[in-house]
Amino acid sequence: MRRYETIYILRPNLGEEEITKVVESTNAILNSGDGEIIALDQWGLRKLAYLIKKESNGYYVYCDYATAPDNVSEMERKFRIDDTVMKYMTVKLAEAIDTAGIEAARGDYEAAKVAAAKAAEEEEQETEEQGGDKKEPVKEAVKEPVQEAAKETEEVKETSGE
Amino acid sequence: MPPKKRIFHRKRVCRFCTDSEMIIDYKDVKVLRNFVTERGKIIPRRIFGTCASHQRQVCEAIKRARQIALLPYSGNTPR
Repeated sequence: MRRYETIYILRPNLGEEEITKVVESTNAILNSGDGEIIALDQWGLRKLAYLIKKESNGYYVYCDYATAPDNVSEMERKFRIDDTVMKYMTVKLAEAIDTAGIEAARGDYEAAKVAAAKAAEEEEQETEEQGGDKKEPVKEAVKEPVQEAAKETEEVKETSGE
Repeated sequence: MPPKKRIFHRKRVCRFCTDSEMIIDYKDVKVLRNFVTERGKIIPRRIFGTCASHQRQVCEAIKRARQIALLPYSGNTPR
């Protein structure tokens, strides 16, 4: 089994049912054999950097999985036939992965989620506490480079004088 | 004696070597935006100062991001 990740872009004008239908059918292909999905993340509608099939928006789906190479080529064959999939990209992450590795990777994703949630909370708190606390460190940070710059100019003067 | 020309050398350090928390990932568009010009070109190493191995990784990441329409091949606004 190898570990891959795939991003595929669906047409923006699809209904929710159609999106879930495409996602489930690809998941079914990837799960066949002893393949396993590690993470599935629907990024949702995003603006594309350039037009794809005359569309300027796209529905991004990100999938991290471990499966046999045959399943990947089968999935890509389906994507090429399917009119709702505008573009896809698969990247191989690891040549081989075992069940322990899959569990570890899932743990990583959970940890990342928790960390992201924490960071969001902290940001909210910081915005609430904006006041006397924040101003002082900013002033210090500004002072230091000015002093350094002054030193540098002095050095330059000395050398040019010689 | 004619005055010697002073060439100013700004010391450049690779961002990724100094900050080990920065990870190069083609999905992370916010970071990659710093490494392309407004026109979408990759900024060369001699200007940015990234080390060879990191520049290679950045380059690869930008090219992948372009493939999946996260970054433009050229220009910042699609027509």
